[in-house]
Amino acid sequence: MSRATERRRNAAEWLQFGTAGVIVLVMFYPAIWMVYSSFKSNREIFRAPFALPSQWRWENLIEAWNVGGLGTLYLNSVFVTLVAVSMCVLFATAAAFAFTRLEFPGRKLMYRILLIGLLLPPPSVAIALFTQLRDMHLLNTPWALILPGAAWQLAFTVFLMRAYFISIRPDMEEAARLDGANTWEIFWHVSVPMVWPAMLTMVVLNTISVWNELLFALLFITDDAQRTLPVGLVRFSGYHSTDYSLVFAALTITTVPILILYFILQRHVIAGLTATAMD
Amino acid sequence: MLFAAPAMLLFATFVLLPLGASVYYAFTFWDGFSAPRWAGFANFARALTDPTFLMSFVHVVFYIAATLIFEVTFGLVMAVLLNSDRRGFSLMRGMFFAPVVLSMSAAGVLWKFVLDYRTGLLNSTLRSVGLGDWAQPWLAQPETALLFICIVSGWKYAGFYMVIFFAALRRIPRNLYEAARLDGANGVQQFTAITLPMLKQNVIVCILLAVTGGFAGFDLFFTMTNGQPFGATEVPATWIIKQAFDQNQIGYGVALTVVLTVVVSLISIAYLKISERGNVTRY
Repeated sequence: MSRATERRRNAAEWLQFGTAGVIVLVMFYPAIWMVYSSFKSNREIFRAPFALPSQWRWENLIEAWNVGGLGTLYLNSVFVTLVAVSMCVLFATAAAFAFTRLEFPGRKLMYRILLIGLLLPPPSVAIALFTQLRDMHLLNTPWALILPGAAWQLAFTVFLMRAYFISIRPDMEEAARLDGANTWEIFWHVSVPMVWPAMLTMVVLNTISVWNELLFALLFITDDAQRTLPVGLVRFSGYHSTDYSLVFAALTITTVPILILYFILQRHVIAGLTATAMD
Repeated sequence: MLFAAPAMLLFATFVLLPLGASVYYAFTFWDGFSAPRWAGFANFARALTDPTFLMSFVHVVFYIAATLIFEVTFGLVMAVLLNSDRRGFSLMRGMFFAPVVLSMSAAGVLWKFVLDYRTGLLNSTLRSVGLGDWAQPWLAQPETALLFICIVSGWKYAGFYMVIFFAALRRIPRNLYEAARLDGANGVQQFTAITLPMLKQNVIVCILLAVTGGFAGFDLFFTMTNGQPFGATEVPATWIIKQAFDQNQIGYGVALTVVLTVVVSLISIAYLKISERGNVTRY
C-alpha cells in the first residue's frame, strides 16, 4: 500500500466507491440468495423469497447430493478436465516449441491451419463430430469429451504459448544445443521450465472452459454414469423443476466450490486472462 | 516436426476431419444410420427458405447487439469505475468477475429462479416496492424472453470484458492525464480524447470476441428456454441441434452448420479487414 492510497477520500472518490459498490452488490446478490435459499424449505422459498432460512436445513444439500448423483458427476468432470487439460497444454507447448525454436518444412502452414480453430464455432462441427465419434466407438466414454475437448482448446493454447515463446529470447536453448543437448532434452530441461508460468495460466483458462463445456457433453454422452456436471445440472433442474430447495441445493453444491477455488486463484485467473486478450 | 505432431494430429482428427465431413454430408440426405444419398443443393435451398432458421439469425443478431451493450460497453464502464487503488476495489473487481468462471448451465438455472414469475427475485422485488403490477413471466412471454437471456449473458460476461479493459487502462501512462488536466480537460474530455483512443485495439478484439461468441451461442439458450416461447429465443445452434438429433435429419442439420460456419467466417474476415483499414487511414 502506498501512502497515496491512505489519504482521505474526496467526494468524487466516495461517489465512485458507492456507485461501483451498489452495482457489484446487486449483481453478486443472486449468488448469495442461491446459497441461503438452498437451506430453506420449499414453503419458505415460496412464502418469503428474500428471508434467511428460519432453520438451516443441511439435509437439503445431502438429499440433492444423493438424488442428483452429484458425486459421480463431480468425478466424471474431474477426470475429463484433468486429462483433457493436461493433454492440451502439453501438446500445445510442444507445438509452440516446434513453431518457434525448430526449423522444418511446412512449419508456417501448420500454424496457419491451426489458427482456423480460433474463429470456428464448436456448433459448426458438432453433428459431424457426433457421427465420427460413433463410428470410432467413443460415444458414452470419457474420451468423447477428452479428445474433442483438448482439440478445440488447442488453437487458442498454441497461439498464446507461441506468443510467450517468441517473447523469450532463444539464448538458453542455443547454449544448451552447443553443450550437446538433443532437442528432446532442450525441450524438457530448458524450454518447459522457462515457459512454465504461461503453461500454468493456460491450465487455469482451459480448466474453466473444459469444466463448463455443455454442447459436446450433451450430445456425446447419453449414459447417466458418464455424464459431467453441466449437463447433469440442467437435467436435474428439469426433473425437479418444482422442487425449488432441491435445485437450489444442487446449484450451491456445484457452484460454491468453483467460486471458492476462483477466489483463491483469482490472481492467476485474471493475470492469465489479461495476458491472453492483450495481443 | 515431431514436437508439433501430437497437436496437429489431435487437431486434424477432431476439428478438421469433422469440418471436412460436414461439407460432404451437407450435400446429402442422411438420417445418420443408412447410407447417405446425394442431395445436391437441396439442403441449402431448404435452409434459405426455413423460416425458423432465418429468424434464428435475426435473434442472434439481436443477441450480439445486446452483448455489445450489456457485456462490452458495460464492461468498459465498470473497468473505468473499478479502476482505483483504494481499499475494497480489488475485492469488487473479483466479485464482478466471479460469474465468468461459473458454467453457463449453472448461470442459466440460477437465473430461471431469479426470473421466476411467482417466487423469483425480480418479481419479488417489484412486489415489495409496490410495483407488483409490473411483475411478468419474463422468460415465458415472447416479448421479453430474448431480452432477458441477453441480460443474463451480460451478467455472466461483463466481468470478462471489464478485466480486459481494466488491464489496458493500467497501461495508459498517467502523465497523459496529468497533461490533459493542466490543459483544462474535464473527465469526459479525458475519456474521449485519451482513454478511448488508447483502448482502440482492445475494443476491436472485444467486438470480434462478442460477435464470434454470439454466433456460437448455445448454452444459455438451451438451459433457459431452448427456443421457447413460440420460437422467440431460437438461435442457429439450438435449431441445428433440434434438426439433427430430434428430427434425425443429420444431412439437413449439417447443412445448417455449414451455413453458420460460412456466415461467421465471412463476418470475421470482413471485420478484421475493415478494422485494419481503419488503422491505416487513421494513423
